[in-house]
Amino acid sequence: MHTCPPPHDILAEWLEEHPSTNGKFGHLLLLQRDIDQEAICEALRPYFESAHLDARQVFHADIGIDLHPDAGDGGELPVEYPGCLPSTTRKGLFGEVMAGLVTEGYELVGGHDWRVPIFLFRYHEDARNYLFTLVRNPERTRQTIGRLGSDFIGLLLDDIGAVVRFIAGEAKWRKTLTQSAVDVVMYGKKVTNPAGGPKVHSGKGVWNDVNNDPPVPIGVRQLMRLLQQHDPDGYDAAILSMERALVLRDEEPLPRTDLIIIVGNGAARREQMDCLLPYEEMPEDYTAGHDLQLVEVILKDGEELIDTLYESLWSDGGDDA
Amino acid sequence: MPELDPDRLDVANELKSQIALEDTLTPIQARSFVRGLQTAWDVPTIRWSAAESRIQLHDARRLLDAAAIFRRIEGASSTNAILCYRRAGELLEWLGRAHDELTTFVPLELLAAASYQLGGLPAMSAALLTKVRLDSRGKRLYASFLRANFDEVIRTVTMFWRDHIDIADREASERLLDDDGEDKATWYFTVELVRTLGAIADALRRGDEPRLDRALLKLAALDKMAVRTLNDDASALVALLYQVAIAYRDASIYTPVRELGAINPERAPRLETFARTQFNRQRGILWTSQRHGIARLIEESSFALCTPTGSGKTLVANLALVKELLLRAEEDPAPLALYLVPSRALAGEVEAKLTAELGRDLIVTGLYGGTDWGVTDYWIDADRPTVLIATVEKADALMRYLGPLLLRRLRLLIVDEAHQVIPADDERTQADFAEHSNRSIRLEGFVSRLLAQSPKIVRIALTAVAGGAASPVARWIEDREDAQAVGTRYRSTRQIVGIFETSHGNSGRMLLELMNGRSLFVRGRDDPVYLRLGIPPMPELSAERRHSVYRFNELDVLWTALHLINEDRRILISVMQQPERTMGWYKDALQFESWQEAQTFEAPDNEEDRARFEETRAACIDYCGENSYELALLDHGIATNHGQMPQRLRRLMTLLIDRGICPITVATATLTEGVNLPFDIIFLTALKRRTYDPVNNTSVETPMSAAEFRNLSGRAGRPGSSNGMEGITLVAIPRRPSSTAPRQIPVQRRQIRALRQDYGALRRRLLAEELEQADVDSPLALLLQGIADRARDLVGLEGDDFLAWLEAAIPSDISDHAGRAETSEDSRLADSVDELDGILLSAIEEIQRLRAGGLEGAAAEEVLVQLWRRTFSAYAAVQEDWLERAFVRRGRAIVDQIYPDANERTRLYQYGFTPYVGRRFEAIAPEMKAVIEGAQDYGGASAEDRFAIFVALGELIAADRGYGFRVRATETDRKLLENWQDVLGWWVLAPGAASPDPEQLRAWQRFVADNIDFRLGVAVGAVVACAWSDSAGDPLAVPSLDAWRETTELPWFGFWARELLRWGTLDPFVAFALSQGLAQTRHSAAARRAAFEAWLQAEYDDLDAEDFIDPQRFLAWERSLPQPERAAGGGNRVGVELIGTTGERGLYRVVPIVTNDTINWIDAAGYVLARSSRDDLPFRGLFHRQDFELHTGDGAPYVGRSFAG
Repeated sequence: MHTCPPPHDILAEWLEEHPSTNGKFGHLLLLQRDIDQEAICEALRPYFESAHLDARQVFHADIGIDLHPDAGDGGELPVEYPGCLPSTTRKGLFGEVMAGLVTEGYELVGGHDWRVPIFLFRYHEDARNYLFTLVRNPERTRQTIGRLGSDFIGLLLDDIGAVVRFIAGEAKWRKTLTQSAVDVVMYGKKVTNPAGGPKVHSGKGVWNDVNNDPPVPIGVRQLMRLLQQHDPDGYDAAILSMERALVLRDEEPLPRTDLIIIVGNGAARREQMDCLLPYEEMPEDYTAGHDLQLVEVILKDGEELIDTLYESLWSDGGDDA
Repeated sequence: MPELDPDRLDVANELKSQIALEDTLTPIQARSFVRGLQTAWDVPTIRWSAAESRIQLHDARRLLDAAAIFRRIEGASSTNAILCYRRAGELLEWLGRAHDELTTFVPLELLAAASYQLGGLPAMSAALLTKVRLDSRGKRLYASFLRANFDEVIRTVTMFWRDHIDIADREASERLLDDDGEDKATWYFTVELVRTLGAIADALRRGDEPRLDRALLKLAALDKMAVRTLNDDASALVALLYQVAIAYRDASIYTPVRELGAINPERAPRLETFARTQFNRQRGILWTSQRHGIARLIEESSFALCTPTGSGKTLVANLALVKELLLRAEEDPAPLALYLVPSRALAGEVEAKLTAELGRDLIVTGLYGGTDWGVTDYWIDADRPTVLIATVEKADALMRYLGPLLLRRLRLLIVDEAHQVIPADDERTQADFAEHSNRSIRLEGFVSRLLAQSPKIVRIALTAVAGGAASPVARWIEDREDAQAVGTRYRSTRQIVGIFETSHGNSGRMLLELMNGRSLFVRGRDDPVYLRLGIPPMPELSAERRHSVYRFNELDVLWTALHLINEDRRILISVMQQPERTMGWYKDALQFESWQEAQTFEAPDNEEDRARFEETRAACIDYCGENSYELALLDHGIATNHGQMPQRLRRLMTLLIDRGICPITVATATLTEGVNLPFDIIFLTALKRRTYDPVNNTSVETPMSAAEFRNLSGRAGRPGSSNGMEGITLVAIPRRPSSTAPRQIPVQRRQIRALRQDYGALRRRLLAEELEQADVDSPLALLLQGIADRARDLVGLEGDDFLAWLEAAIPSDISDHAGRAETSEDSRLADSVDELDGILLSAIEEIQRLRAGGLEGAAAEEVLVQLWRRTFSAYAAVQEDWLERAFVRRGRAIVDQIYPDANERTRLYQYGFTPYVGRRFEAIAPEMKAVIEGAQDYGGASAEDRFAIFVALGELIAADRGYGFRVRATETDRKLLENWQDVLGWWVLAPGAASPDPEQLRAWQRFVADNIDFRLGVAVGAVVACAWSDSAGDPLAVPSLDAWRETTELPWFGFWARELLRWGTLDPFVAFALSQGLAQTRHSAAARRAAFEAWLQAEYDDLDAEDFIDPQRFLAWERSLPQPERAAGGGNRVGVELIGTTGERGLYRVVPIVTNDTINWIDAAGYVLARSSRDDLPFRGLFHRQDFELHTGDGAPYVGRSFAG
């Protein structure tokens, strides 16, 4: 379970906060201050370790079971999680944990007190190919059938612990956050216009994803299974509300907040308060009708930060069991 | 337990009650089903929107979530969970079937199959996945796993490792995770999943529990990883794979088999092989019904297993044989089991199956011969455990002949299709009682008598579900009032019942009405579901042929069937009676010019199938003739089968049907009595039988009972053996008259209306019986009631007066025509009393034999009370006291008054007739014996002289309906009886005998079956049996060919007479060659006689006529024939070089991967452990179905084959 509270003090030192809300719409611009990266990493490390702990335990448990007939029990693990993950994957994970950090660490639209009990890290987009073809082919274009689902799910619980609202987060890391890069994220890649003329966005971007997400966010079922595995009694009421949402046919959908967070380095020509996403009022591109929170996290040397941070996780050899 | 579990159950229950009630579809579900069916049949579908598909998919997901809740709270066997899984499976299957373009990551069929597995419907899962074409290796791997086809899993993973040999080493996983690829984690996951599924499949089929547990642990870890890292659908797939794998572990046949093995550890290795063989046949994962049955088998002994056809009862029976015979094999004398089946055809099927499974350990014999024991009956004095498979008639004859021998060894009684003990409460049954031809009372009488003699033998009844039979049968078999049948509500396939509307000038259409016994409706109950078939309309028939609406109807069915077989469907056209009429119409139609294009059948290319086909064809010419309908139809790929067909031809035809060589079958109900044959569609063209009642001079119509219909329709859509997901049974009814002649139209309208009414009545009965458990009748109670009713009507006696009358009534006093199967009321009464006497006298005689002393007075009464309490009637329902009193008092009267002479009783018992008939038979028995005794020269006699002997025998009984020939009161049958010598001559191939015309053939066959094979055979058998018993003295004397002639003082003709009548030949050598499978036809059997005689002359001097028919000589000659050489095996081990293992474990289970010049021996989890050169490989066959073991102990390492498939 993810239990570490967000490090509020260091967040304030690290990121300059520019929130704005307008009814059901909120925007938050977070600008990195000039600060010692190592100190930041050190301060963020407990939160990130907490976020990754569940996945790490599961991964280690799996690689610990060697099916070779000569294998015994136990023995040294050949690799460590998340250290062994490729750097692109780690950036994706970083974005997800940032989404959680923002959700738990800042006041977002609606002013709710969100809980992220556990992180899902669904990064295996290729699974759909490999699981069926049983052939490795990294060159092959990724075929995506629909989207993977929200990157993380946060919960708003009532007094008895039942879920009264979901927050479904979509986190995107881009090395350099230019307007065109963000437009590709939000509206899809540029493709040939069938009607002729210059290329146009495909429409298969984040806006499309969030607008078409089902009433019960994709990922709730998995979150529910994880809570059942970890703490069925502690989250009894929360699990029951998720079961109601998933099983009952006539159930009123639970209210929901969509969170879209883009993380990356500021572009070279960026002005201090430039925003790449709308910040004044609910954008027309968003048609899902829920509360919407947009977050822009502008970093300096973000890749370096991510590498340093991920290399520091469990670097003191701490027990992850 | 989480506090809110009750609320959680409410949530799941709410959904279940909305959309997952058993056998009840919501309107949209019914529409989805129909749409899927329409797509499968390639006919236009009902209106349907993409939104409806999405709703169904969501519902399926909801059901899977609800099922998970039920399982978590109520346990893995939660009935609620099972219902949810089943419905989820159905919704997914129907969507998949309609080829919806739903954007699911995992193919719907895989999700459906997994749901069916978890819903306890493995056959549905297998059927679904057998049909579906999957486009990638991974999907095929999961599909093989989900249908429990572990050999196929191994085949797929070995192909994977052949292509990825670079990662088939122990360090590969670490290398994968250490490299740089962005996709490495996914690829790692995929590889680990392949490893795990391979390891699970291999461990399951080998029963390697520690390995299985470890692999399951790994799969659990992968499942946990998937739920965190894969998308919802992909993680759902992995979760389902894991749950199904756990279900496999829990249902593995190794578990109960090992429990059984503990009874006799010496035999445990044999049991392991038994279990492994079940996996080889894809039956290693037990179905719920089997698990329940086997659990009972292990805990206690006797029980009734009550599950529908096709739910794997045979395996339970086999394990019972293993337990009671194999595990006690050291007993002396060797134990014996009696396996009662309802028909000879089923005896053949059971024998074939049992021989394949247990033939190496047990003697399995089906007792087909005409004699009560014959040349093949070596089991009698064998010191090996034995299974006798017999109809109740045959078992009864054996009991009379060899009772003490049999009982000494008998340990187990299996009664297959035990619900057949329940009679119909109608006039026909009462008439059958009086004519001594009712099956149910014979079964009740035999089993009850057997249990009275051997109360300790283990009993197992296998019974179908419907009709309320389960509980009374269980009480009877277990012999206790509180017994409950072991059973589960389980259907192995989906059953659809409806109408096939034939129509002049149009192609037919199907109207689907019932699914799994419930009404199938789409928009409302009044709105039927039609499937209009896209086949061309039947070409216009001539006016004469349309004159009969029945003919038109049956021809349209054939026309339709000819077009439906192109889709690899197998079709049964089931006729109620007069199959020769249908066959004649069909032969005629198949010759029409306009029908030629529709006929696509070609004799099989495959050598084995071709040989079968040709053998059947030869037998067909032999027994039916060149011009017969049977041959004409067979040449068009249409198998025929009816009760009067000679047994050998029936078995061959059944084989053609079973192997799918003939896609269409025309048969009467006798084909399907308990025989498992694969049909996708069954057409019925009538629902009642018409018989002639000579007393009232009217025709009597007997509608098909719901039980018979259910039994028939249960043959449709057998899982794994048929092509479709559902079995469809359709009653063909013309939509309108086929004739255009004004006078004929109203007649045909009436006939069509009658067909519809018959169908409507049947449908109502089916629906009613589905809902309620009807009270069941029992044969003895019905017989007693029938006697009481007739006595009241004829003699005017009731109550105690009736009982007093019954104590003294003698059949000949009741009617002058007693014992002659006459139809007048008084003779019926006399014969019914005689039927009762038959049961009583047999029981008394048997118990007396057991006690080896007299049985009189109070002792007799006590025995009779005990016997009554052993009857099915005593257990079936709350019975009135008078039944027991009547039974017991009549029993005492038999000893004291009716048949007071103990010697006479013994003789009457030996004859096998009911006592009064036997007494009458006794008058001619000496003459019959004299004829047999006179046949000393039979071996050297001419065919004419041989035939004359049979005529002499026939003449003794031809005129007596009691023990002799008996025909129906029709003109044709009367004529046949007058000319019975012609029929006999034709049947035994007497010189110059004429053959019947094709349309007469079946009437002749019927005469042969009823009178020549059966009645003449029984009479001759009775005389011969008495000759043996009179002289043998010791009831435990083992009959042997050595002693036969000396003991009976009869010539060999007496030994052969019944056998000759059975095979239709005058030559004992021909009967011998056919029974031993040395020839295929009577002609080819006769052709081998010259070789036998040459051998005989060379071997022996001073031959007399008897030597030429001496069965011992035949056997000696057979032994002298060259034996086919067994294919030389190439050795059973190969030396290997170890790689990838230290060899520390001494023994490794391996699978070969064959590449160009090398064999890599891998662990099924994908680790190369050893290598050898391909040139050295001594093994042959399909490696993925075999087991290999790598031995690394002392000496050079080698691989040996431990299971050859």
